[in-house]
Amino acid sequence: MASSTLVSFISENSMSVTVQDKQDITSPRMFGWFLDPLTMLLRDRFALAGLVVVGVFAGIAIFAPWIATHPPYEAALTPEGRLLRLQLPSSEHYLGTTTFGHDVFSQFIVGFRVAFIVGGLGAIAVGIISTLFGLISGYFGGFIDDVLMRITDVALSIPTLPFAIVAVGLLGPSLNNIILVIALLFWRNGARIIRSAVLTERERVYVKWARAAGASHFHVIFRHVLPNVFRVVFLWVTMSVAFAILTEASLSFIGLGDPSVTSWGQMLNTAFSSGNLRSAWWWVVPPSIALVMLISSLYLIGRAFEEQTNPRLRRT
Amino acid sequence: MLVVFIVSTIMFFMFRIVPSDPTVMLVERGISEEARQALLERWGLTGSLWEQYLRYMGGLLVGDFGNSFFYRAPVWDVLLPRIVNTLWIAVPGLLLGALIGATLGMVVGWARRGGAVERGGILIATIIRGTPSFIIGIALLAVFSSWLGWLPGFGMGDSGGATGVMRYLNFNFFIHLILPLLAVIIYFIPENLLLMRSGVVENRTEDYIELVRAKGVSDQRVAWHAGRNSLLPLITWLFPALAETIAGIVVIEIVFSWPGIGRELVLAVTRQDYPVAQAAFFLLAVMIVLANLAADLTYGKLDPRVVYK
Repeated sequence: MASSTLVSFISENSMSVTVQDKQDITSPRMFGWFLDPLTMLLRDRFALAGLVVVGVFAGIAIFAPWIATHPPYEAALTPEGRLLRLQLPSSEHYLGTTTFGHDVFSQFIVGFRVAFIVGGLGAIAVGIISTLFGLISGYFGGFIDDVLMRITDVALSIPTLPFAIVAVGLLGPSLNNIILVIALLFWRNGARIIRSAVLTERERVYVKWARAAGASHFHVIFRHVLPNVFRVVFLWVTMSVAFAILTEASLSFIGLGDPSVTSWGQMLNTAFSSGNLRSAWWWVVPPSIALVMLISSLYLIGRAFEEQTNPRLRRT
Repeated sequence: MLVVFIVSTIMFFMFRIVPSDPTVMLVERGISEEARQALLERWGLTGSLWEQYLRYMGGLLVGDFGNSFFYRAPVWDVLLPRIVNTLWIAVPGLLLGALIGATLGMVVGWARRGGAVERGGILIATIIRGTPSFIIGIALLAVFSSWLGWLPGFGMGDSGGATGVMRYLNFNFFIHLILPLLAVIIYFIPENLLLMRSGVVENRTEDYIELVRAKGVSDQRVAWHAGRNSLLPLITWLFPALAETIAGIVVIEIVFSWPGIGRELVLAVTRQDYPVAQAAFFLLAVMIVLANLAADLTYGKLDPRVVYK
């Protein structure tokens, strides 16, 4: 198979250790826990398309300040000093202007950055919390597991968006608070999923061997169990990025977004609340399409993981 | 029960810990100190935090949520019609979405692996699933309300003075119902479709499918066997999903200005009308707990292998 040669190619190049024995097919591959999921993604065409979209969007997010042609909140004026409201797309304003004379293209470009900040930070926070919860709960079991899973049960009965609305409404609409709320909301499902993966992993013989050989719990968890459940963690982090972006967009659309940044949800909210949702297509369509593309791409990547982690769905 | 208790406790303290003072909006400026105290007393805002908490929990036990700051009316009177409005779009939306989604999921799941139907079905379903509900709403508004001009996309229509059941049983209400309902249905199809498809794909390699095939029945009937067995996880998933959808419908209600409980929650939060916000959130949390309970019980009924001790 072509992909397996790719795997060995990558792993041989990334390993600085000399390969002891070419015949030894069980030789440990240092970054296998990370590279295996990645090569698996490259094999799935939908996931590959998703990766490309996410990659391009990330590039735009990084270079956003250089791509944007105007400051996002600068009101465009005519030479006579009148506000250029709701202009159609032109060479000066690639995507026209808003009802306040702001350049839509620049706001749209800055939105890439906001989406990736929210998605990235939110997913990292969710990933760390749910992985720790899942690892500790699943590995130690017993009383600790009971307590942690009760906490998860309570957290699971909190309705997501209403909680976000109330929390952000009370704490104040800022990007930090939105990310905090995302972290508080989405660790719970991840903890469940990772825990069940750890539960099956814990029963494997190698864990007992490692313990018998004198390895500490800490060592077993992070050196042996974590790399083996990494696919599940990866899946959950990918989905969390999507959830985070979706939650921020929804909150912003409702009107609880950070007023100091221009996210896509915020753009749609401004168009909606100023009554231009139905007429100013140049203002509404770009953020909508970008949101759909980004979230769908992340779901496509997540789906590829799901298909691979569930052997019954795998194609033979 | 314990879960409900904990959630309402968290809720109470969340509202009290924040620094903003609800009396600012409640009490007019320049009011005398005695009058202010009397007002606070009426709204249950006097005494220590602990006393307030006990009074609030006591009220919850007998179903008393207090009075709304904004409407100056009991919270129940404010929320009850809103809940009914939400159920009008949530329940039919969920059922139709599940029905259509499950049917399509069976088709996609039974299609040839790697074929056009399967790949196309998965791709379209994933894209719709990745579409935020407000964008579905905006798209429907743009097409049916602005472009074609067929359907209204704002509010519930004029009641014409009708009250009670008649409020809902008139033509004007129904044409206002169509677009929000459609948004909920579309929002709901992909998840059902993908879940059903996974179930069918998992089942189609089982031995009993081979057996049915060996009996020589038609392909459709074989598919039906696999489909029926995939319904089980779907049905148990539906109950918790119902609660989550009612919560997720918030955004759709806002797009269509549908006066439901979700929109009321957002309004209450922005108005700092804590009693209403607390009660709306509490009711949504209770709904999720009950739905999970119902899911567990149905699962036991449907799958004889599951036994509750």
